[in-house]
Amino acid sequence: MEPTDPLLAARLAAGDDHALAEVFDHLAPTVYGAALRVLGEGAAAQDVVQDVFVELWSHPDRYDPKAGTLGTYLIVLARHRAVDLVRSELRRLARQERHYRLTPEGPGPTPSDAVTAADTADAVRAAVRLLPDDQRQVVELAYFQGLSYREVALATGIPEGTAKSRLRLALAKLESALDRQLLESP
Amino acid sequence: MTASLPAGLRERVMAATHQVRQAGQSVPEVSEDSPAEAFGHAADAFYQTLCSLTGDDWGLPVLRDLDVQGLVGHLIGVEDDVQRALAGDPGVASTDHVQSTQPAALRQAGRPTAGTREDWRHAADRTLAAVTGGDLDAVVALHGFPLRVRDLLVARTFELWTHENDIRTAAGLSLAAPAPSTLRPMTRLATALLPFGAVFTDLHEPVSVHLVLTGPGGGTWDVAVGDPSPEPAALGIVTDVVGFCRLFSNRIAPADLDVFVTGDPRLARSVLTAATALALD
Repeated sequence: MEPTDPLLAARLAAGDDHALAEVFDHLAPTVYGAALRVLGEGAAAQDVVQDVFVELWSHPDRYDPKAGTLGTYLIVLARHRAVDLVRSELRRLARQERHYRLTPEGPGPTPSDAVTAADTADAVRAAVRLLPDDQRQVVELAYFQGLSYREVALATGIPEGTAKSRLRLALAKLESALDRQLLESP
Repeated sequence: MTASLPAGLRERVMAATHQVRQAGQSVPEVSEDSPAEAFGHAADAFYQTLCSLTGDDWGLPVLRDLDVQGLVGHLIGVEDDVQRALAGDPGVASTDHVQSTQPAALRQAGRPTAGTREDWRHAADRTLAAVTGGDLDAVVALHGFPLRVRDLLVARTFELWTHENDIRTAAGLSLAAPAPSTLRPMTRLATALLPFGAVFTDLHEPVSVHLVLTGPGGGTWDVAVGDPSPEPAALGIVTDVVGFCRLFSNRIAPADLDVFVTGDPRLARSVLTAATALALD
């Protein structure tokens, strides 16, 4: 019997913590590197590594050795977790900016909020810059200025349906661009 | 792309994983039979196999000098001895497992096979009735082994499953495997008895065995065998849970078991041999 991926999966399912440590030592640097490529900063990438290995240990039966290697499975998990984090941070940042804009008398962001927001913006900015001009415009209007589809349509002089489809296309490309960054990792 | 891991990340991740699932627990989780349930399930499976036999099958040679009918007679004798042990009869405490039951085995010759089959079923049912509501932690002595009633029932589960497969092999039927819920108490007992098997095989070298039994009903155990020592040799053994139970029943040789070993292969062979040492015919 060789220490193959199917054997590792069976050992993980049997509660073999030594197998988990072996997998971590072998694959965690790759998982961490993949998360770093998407997120661009270490703390969030460490969270992704933790999420990935907690998922593997909690549900080892979700890994199907017939579908690919354990390394590929963990990298795909890391990609999804990292992209989810970016999306979540994008939404949070947009909500925060709208809130500050609507409450000009408020105290404004704390220094900690400002640092977090700046980090997140850095991480996402590169992906947004890859969008075509017309798509980047609707993303900025919808997410960062909080405009509705109708308002985006009016501001850009396009039909409302076109605004919706451009935004959907832009978000798909944004995700694809983030995925590509990961897939290009050696 | 790979990246150097930040200091402390490994420890943080390992701590987080063990908060959601303890080491040793298999997933998907399976329910675990009580000792009486395990014995009952093994008895039901054994009976179903007996019911599937043809008339000619009952005359097939199966174990030692016994044909199938004689083996079922041996098990009728075992149930009688178990019931005597449960009743506190010291007469069965140190008798030999085979010699004590041989008269019951020989009595079956020439009987209608249905009679043998039903006598065994009733004997197994009487054993179950005798333990129902009783103290499962009471220690009884049978055939040279003092065992708690709960462990005796699981040991009997092993015996019924093993002889069921002896008969199935003789009759050309495929091997049967216990349900995962029944395997759980079986593996729990087998791993607990492993150090005693080491004593029987004169394995004194201190070994810390990390035993991983894969498949539904399996799990992971750390077992100390050999003489006590602050620095035992570390040994990892990974094998299939049903295969390990067949080994424990002495129905497969250590060399024929598909295993993945980390550590000294010689020690691994010794430990696997120890696992076979407590099996009874």
